[in-house]
Amino acid sequence: MQRPLSPFMFPTWYRFQITSTLSILHRITGIGLALGSILLAWWLIAVAANGELFTATHAFIASPIGMLLLFGWSVAFFYHLCNGIRHLAWDAGYGFELRQAYHSGYAVLAATAVLTVLAWLYVLLA
Amino acid sequence: MANPRSLADSTALRDETVLRRVRQFGSARNGLQEWRLQRLTALALIPLGLYFVASMLWLATSDRVTAAAWLASPVPAFLVILFVLAGLTHAFIGLRAVLLDYVHTRARLLAAELLVRAAAIILGAASILAVLKLFLGR
Repeated sequence: MQRPLSPFMFPTWYRFQITSTLSILHRITGIGLALGSILLAWWLIAVAANGELFTATHAFIASPIGMLLLFGWSVAFFYHLCNGIRHLAWDAGYGFELRQAYHSGYAVLAATAVLTVLAWLYVLLA
Repeated sequence: MANPRSLADSTALRDETVLRRVRQFGSARNGLQEWRLQRLTALALIPLGLYFVASMLWLATSDRVTAAAWLASPVPAFLVILFVLAGLTHAFIGLRAVLLDYVHTRARLLAAELLVRAAAIILGAASILAVLKLFLGR
C-alpha cells in the first residue's frame, strides 16, 4: 500500500543523527567495496595475463576516472574498516551508552579522514 | 499454541530439537553460523585488508617492483589469496542482509541471492587462479 509520506523529511523534519548516518554509510560503503572487488578481480587477471590486457587495465586505472574510482574505494575501505571495528566493539559489549556511541562515531570519521590523507599523501609524495 | 516449556528445553539433545522443528515449534533457520562467520572474516580482514591496501600503495609508487613479480613471491600471493577469500565471504554475507531488506518477493530474493553467490564464487575462483598462475610461473 502506498502510504502518504511527508515531503522533504530529510533534513527538515527528521534530524540527521550520527548514529543513523554512520549506520547507513556502513551499508553504502559495504556495497561500494563489494562492487570494487570486481575491479580487483579484473586487475589480478590482467596482471596474470600480461600483455595488452594489462596495459589497457593499467591505463584505465591511471586515468582520471580510474583514479577517482580508486580514491572513492579507498575512502569507502577506510570508513568501513573503522566503523567495522566500532561494530566489533559493540558485538563484544562495549560502547553502548549514547555518549560513547557519539564519541566513537566522531572518532571513526576522524580516523577515516586521517587514514585517507596519509594514504594519498604517500602516493603523491613517493 | 501449546508448547510445554520444561527444563529439558534448554538442554535438548539433537533428537528433541528435530522433533520440535517437525512439530513447527522451533525456529525456521539457524542464523548464528552466518553471524559468527561475518565476525570471523571481519577480524581477519583487518590485517589482511590493511596489508592489501598498503601493498597497493607501495606497488603504485615503486618503480622497481612490478605487480607480477610481487605476486610471484609466496608471502604476497598467500596473503592476497586469503584476502580474496575472506573479503568475498564477508561481502556475500553482507550483501545477503542488504538483499533481504530491499527485495520483497521470495522468488526475486532467491534469484538475486543466487546471482550474487555465483558472482562471488566466479570472482573468487578467477582471482585465486590468476594469483596461482603468477606464483607457479606458468
